[in-house]
Amino acid sequence: MSSSTFFGLDIATRGLYSAQRGLTTVNHNVDNINTPGYSRQVLEQRAARPILMANGTGMLGTGSEIVGVRRIRDEYLDVKFRSEVQHLGEWEVKQTLLEELQVMYNEPSDSGFNTVLNEFYNTLQQLSTDPSSPANRAALKEKAVMLTKYFNSVAVHFEYLQNDINEIIYAKVQEINSLADQIAKLNQAIYSYEITGNVANDLRDQRGHIVDKLARLINIEAYEVSYGKLPNGRDDMRFVITVSGKPLVDHNNVSHLAVTQREEKLNEEDIPNLYEIHWADGNKLVVRSGELKGYLDVRDGNDGLNGSPDFRGIPYYQRKMNEFVRTFALTFNEGLIHNSDGTLEKVYGHVDGYRLYSEGDTEPAGIRFFTMFDEYGNPMSSDVFALAGGPDSDNPDYDAMYRQITAKNFSISLEILENPANNICISDRAGEVGNIEILRSLIDMRHNPYMFNEGSPEDYIKTIISCMGVDGQLAMHYLENQTVITQQIDNRRESVSGVSVNEEMGNLVRYQHAYKAAAKMIQTYSEILDILVNRLGV
Amino acid sequence: MRITNNMLIDNMLSNLSRNLNRVSKYQNQLSTGKKISLPSDDPIIASRALKLRTDVAEIQQFRRNVNDAVSWMEITETTLAQIGDVMQRVRELTVDASNGTKTPEDLDKIKAEVEQLKIQMTHLANATYSGRYIFSGFKTDNPLMDENGNFLIDVSKGEQIFYEIGIGDDIDINVTGCDLFNDGSPQVIAGEKSSLISIFDGLISSLESGDVIAVGDQLGEIDKAIENILRVRSAVGARMNRLELTANRLDDDNINFTKLMSKNEDVDIAEAIMHLMNEMNVYNASLSVGAKVIQPTLVDFLT
Repeated sequence: MSSSTFFGLDIATRGLYSAQRGLTTVNHNVDNINTPGYSRQVLEQRAARPILMANGTGMLGTGSEIVGVRRIRDEYLDVKFRSEVQHLGEWEVKQTLLEELQVMYNEPSDSGFNTVLNEFYNTLQQLSTDPSSPANRAALKEKAVMLTKYFNSVAVHFEYLQNDINEIIYAKVQEINSLADQIAKLNQAIYSYEITGNVANDLRDQRGHIVDKLARLINIEAYEVSYGKLPNGRDDMRFVITVSGKPLVDHNNVSHLAVTQREEKLNEEDIPNLYEIHWADGNKLVVRSGELKGYLDVRDGNDGLNGSPDFRGIPYYQRKMNEFVRTFALTFNEGLIHNSDGTLEKVYGHVDGYRLYSEGDTEPAGIRFFTMFDEYGNPMSSDVFALAGGPDSDNPDYDAMYRQITAKNFSISLEILENPANNICISDRAGEVGNIEILRSLIDMRHNPYMFNEGSPEDYIKTIISCMGVDGQLAMHYLENQTVITQQIDNRRESVSGVSVNEEMGNLVRYQHAYKAAAKMIQTYSEILDILVNRLGV
Repeated sequence: MRITNNMLIDNMLSNLSRNLNRVSKYQNQLSTGKKISLPSDDPIIASRALKLRTDVAEIQQFRRNVNDAVSWMEITETTLAQIGDVMQRVRELTVDASNGTKTPEDLDKIKAEVEQLKIQMTHLANATYSGRYIFSGFKTDNPLMDENGNFLIDVSKGEQIFYEIGIGDDIDINVTGCDLFNDGSPQVIAGEKSSLISIFDGLISSLESGDVIAVGDQLGEIDKAIENILRVRSAVGARMNRLELTANRLDDDNINFTKLMSKNEDVDIAEAIMHLMNEMNVYNASLSVGAKVIQPTLVDFLT
């Protein structure tokens, strides 16, 4: 028995269809060559089920058929990419922000802290060579103002940056929520599409791309879990994204993140009302990496103090600068200076000095050189400043007094500002204009290696700056490494899933030939049928 | 490994940007002249730069202090020389007057000269340096004595004005009036009479009375006073000497530390240009290779 008359045409038509589908796939691939997250698709075709010939002549082939269109993707690389890109995001942020912090200190340069402090001490020296000169005294005041302004300006810039980062954190949380929403929608779409047994290639690519974006922002784990069996026997797979163990997206449900303004500051150096991130349902959120972690660490990092992130961020540097101005002012004003054994020793300070015109004075003027701005932004006078030291003016609480000073409100006192010629007190006895005993003590402090734990004033700032430099360098190295790692994984992904023009062109030619050949078959059958139908002359 | 067109393009772009980064690094170094622009570029260079800047600034300030000290002490030295001359003249006159051959008129003339020398001496005691009385101890705004040789202020030997001329190194630059004009006494109080001027007074009264023997007796006192002045002068000379040595050392230090500073943070131009050229070559090569590799595909050859 032979096959039916039109059987050959059927086979040829199948060939045409297969080739056509092949061309469509090539077309789709080429169109999406630059679509982010796109994975190339390949046509899966096979020989159609053959017909068993009853006369023992074996199987009769019936042409080709399309099984499906498969998306070429290595899921392992996706997991790997997401686990690395979160660190890339974190260090990218940290590196950029640390660079910004360094720029604010402006060192090494001819206008940074070092220059300001050098000039301050140089004018002190200058004053020592002509202590009664009003010009030298005015110059000292100006340089002292410069010194205090330097700290004010750096502290204010740090606060601006902290505020900016706070706003960015808010925006990033919104972005995370929005990405989570998109993923949940895609989950629903993919689920309903695939329940019939199809594979939602392009939707999966879209989702994968959004998950990649999310992974850069915050530490996530993304996986599909089986929720049991569907009626058709397939696994009921649902897509879940967790952040530190708690699901952010669970199939088509989203647990949003939310921010609230802190009632209490985390660090005393913080600006008020910074955002605290938590789950919208009130649970505590733990951020382990990602851009968000980078921003949080720089905004809140106080070297692990009081539960702050273990990172040297803005509060750390603010604290260090506050510590500097407090100790510096205490030493300079009161002459209380640390000994090698850590105890405070009393030497001559500015309060022990007599004014320039002090003929007949029996007591030192008791003027403090450095105080702070009051709430209206005016420099405080020495006496008002000392009120915080408690009622016992002979034995004040210096700690309470100097804790008021911060880098932001550091200032020279009202007395010095108003009348530097008379109120700079450098003589240890009344009426001696050439006496510089106090001044010598003040100058000596510069080289006291016990003034700070880190050493003399210059050593202290040097420590801060090199610490910042080392952190910046570290961030740079992490970033470089992380960039290489992520790039390498991304390369491998691209190698597996990327569209190759050459390959597609090869396929194009392949399917074109197949199409031509199938068409030729049809033509041939047509001729055969023509002979059979028209020319047999039945 | 399967290579796709986008991989080629991506890799080329990231390599190009890396190359360009390096070009920009050297370009930056050359245009600023500094090895680093941020502490994170090299924290060690940065912290050394801070230290060296402080050192240089301090050395320069110490050098200015030395200059001021030298000017002050030069005035002191000149004044001391003049005081020595006055005393020398007084001694000559005393010897001359006491040889017993002078007529009363001669003695009168000598007396007149001694009186003038006394006034000059009180003026020298009130010598100033830029408006400050150099022998008045800490009370530089007050003259030391009046025309009669009475001290106007309390001065003690403790009123030493110190200039810092090195870290922990200071030098006292002033001669106190009590030391010089009161025979090295540790202190004088206002109203007290200078022992040096007393010699003049004794001499004048002896000359007035024509008591030549008494005039001769003053010689011992005068010699003692001259000795005291010489003692002070030699101390000042020694300190001047020390200042000169310090000045030389500070000049050397200034040069050395500035050199160190430059070595630490300034870029080696030749080296940087060489690196820049090298990086430029790499960059150019990667550009031209990239352009060649990413363009053609099978599309170009299918007809």
